[in-house]
Amino acid sequence: MTLDWLDAFLITGLFEVAMVIGLALLLHLQLGLARIANFGVVGFWAIGMYVFGVLYVKVDWPFGDPWQFLVCAGAGTLVAGLAGLLVGWLIADLDTDGVLVGTLGFAAAVQILATTEDELTGGAFGLGGLGFPFDIGKVKENEFLWLVITTAFVAAILVYAWRVHRSPYGRLLIAMGGNEPLARSLGKSTFRTKLWLFGVTSAAMGLLGAMDGVMVRFLDVGHIGVDVTLAAIVGLVLGGTARVWGAVVGVILTVGLFDIVVRSYLPLPQEWYTQTIPVLREAVFGAVLIVVLLFRPLGILGDMRRDRLMRQIHGR
Amino acid sequence: MDFVTQSLVIGITENAPLVLAAIGFALLYRLSGLINVAYSETITLGAYFGMWINTTYGLDFYAVLIPTGLLAGALSVGTYLAIFRPAKHRNVGVLEMIIISFGLSIFLRHGLQFIFGYPERFYDVPPPDTIWVLGVGVTSFRLLAVVSVALLSLLLYLFIQRSTYGLKIRALASDENLAQVSGIRPLAVTVLIWFIAGVAGGLAGAFYGVGSSVSPLLGWRQFLLILMVTLVGGSWGLGGVILVGVGTSVALAAMALQFEQVLYAQLVLIVAFVVVLKWRGTRLTEAAKV
Repeated sequence: MTLDWLDAFLITGLFEVAMVIGLALLLHLQLGLARIANFGVVGFWAIGMYVFGVLYVKVDWPFGDPWQFLVCAGAGTLVAGLAGLLVGWLIADLDTDGVLVGTLGFAAAVQILATTEDELTGGAFGLGGLGFPFDIGKVKENEFLWLVITTAFVAAILVYAWRVHRSPYGRLLIAMGGNEPLARSLGKSTFRTKLWLFGVTSAAMGLLGAMDGVMVRFLDVGHIGVDVTLAAIVGLVLGGTARVWGAVVGVILTVGLFDIVVRSYLPLPQEWYTQTIPVLREAVFGAVLIVVLLFRPLGILGDMRRDRLMRQIHGR
Repeated sequence: MDFVTQSLVIGITENAPLVLAAIGFALLYRLSGLINVAYSETITLGAYFGMWINTTYGLDFYAVLIPTGLLAGALSVGTYLAIFRPAKHRNVGVLEMIIISFGLSIFLRHGLQFIFGYPERFYDVPPPDTIWVLGVGVTSFRLLAVVSVALLSLLLYLFIQRSTYGLKIRALASDENLAQVSGIRPLAVTVLIWFIAGVAGGLAGAFYGVGSSVSPLLGWRQFLLILMVTLVGGSWGLGGVILVGVGTSVALAAMALQFEQVLYAQLVLIVAFVVVLKWRGTRLTEAAKV
């Protein structure tokens, strides 16, 4: 397979878009349906990435890839899921302010551990030695196959989110987000539902982190900053927090614009790409959040279909 | 005994700006119930304003504090009038307000780099004198920060608890409609609060900046601690914020001395605060608002 027609930047740009769509879809279940503002998305993503990376590089496994990858990524997913259960338990009975502290605190704790436990994680110097769980030829070909695999996983998350919307569990999440005491008074276990939601979504965020670790092949603490959370939030808010496709549309318009269009297709001076464009990207993302929430809080795609239907039925 | 003395002196002198910033943040939180994530950028921009005035006009650090406080206060009022007030008029929900403030924080943090440049910046000040307090060496800037924080905290406390304007602020925080009926002008009082909070945050930033360096992440790195101090201490009023702030500062220094790693100290504090929040449940955050 020859991929000479494909720009290397385009592959990494598309991978970035797929990765953030995955995170935004998972955030959609938390924020869009259950109205739980997880500001620590990067924490769950990073814990999966680092558990995977440390196990992959530091442990002398008796077997090679792809089993080595599967075992290490499975461990990263498991630890991220358990972390999700712990954080979910901590914030289950807290209001929005408490949720902000709990999730931000978790992300900060992960970043601190990644920095201080340098014998394991490489700390500020980073951790190299990661690779693809297969070898089909040149680096670009491996990267392309990994992009396809990651996109398939993100598509699976999309299908899962779509099915959640149409399931009793999804209706419970929406009810919880609308009025939690009411949902509880109807005999629904909102506590258990939150735990399950956080456990599953965090585990998937952890697996996405492990998959990102494979693509970047070098883990460093500068990679697990607040910009990961920002990208997921801004994409979701722009597209529409209440709609499954909101995450997809929003991330393509934001991350896609900067990481694909600007990076690969705009004839800008090369030195701009080191600092000016990344800084501009974040500033624009911040501005988009403000403008959308002020002037179109439901995002581009608007409200859930069922809400529109209810308004039509009741003539409102 | 040495350990206790060192923890007290280092904690109070190194982290005095934390208390000042937490007071400003708590004022906003008490008035509006808003977790203003962009407050971290008021701190950062305070540091940048001070550095800019200091390096451009050659003013010494002490002279820089007044214009820095005024500029940070004006910035804070500007964000209220341009963003948070219109958002309130549009009935934006609590969760969306937090996301807006998060967006504003990101916008300011990165936007300021187009004005002040990307590299880390430093104040142009002569090396500070070292003053010995209980056998521990402290720089004159740190000591000034402690004195300023103590003075400003006292003034703010008296202003909020004893003055007519303070009474109006507390009335507005309790019930805006009732306050309005009683002849209080909500806009004037709210603008005053945002200004005072901005001044406190800006001065905290200047003290942080002169003690080390000025970078875009300066305020963000302190934000989580400020937020936690406010949520936990705020349920006992402004005095509680000051007490928890001082306690946090000393605990931070003690653990940094013990672990020889300040990040471990921060980790322990984060865990401790989250456990306190869990233990006290929703009552805590509700109580911290009024």
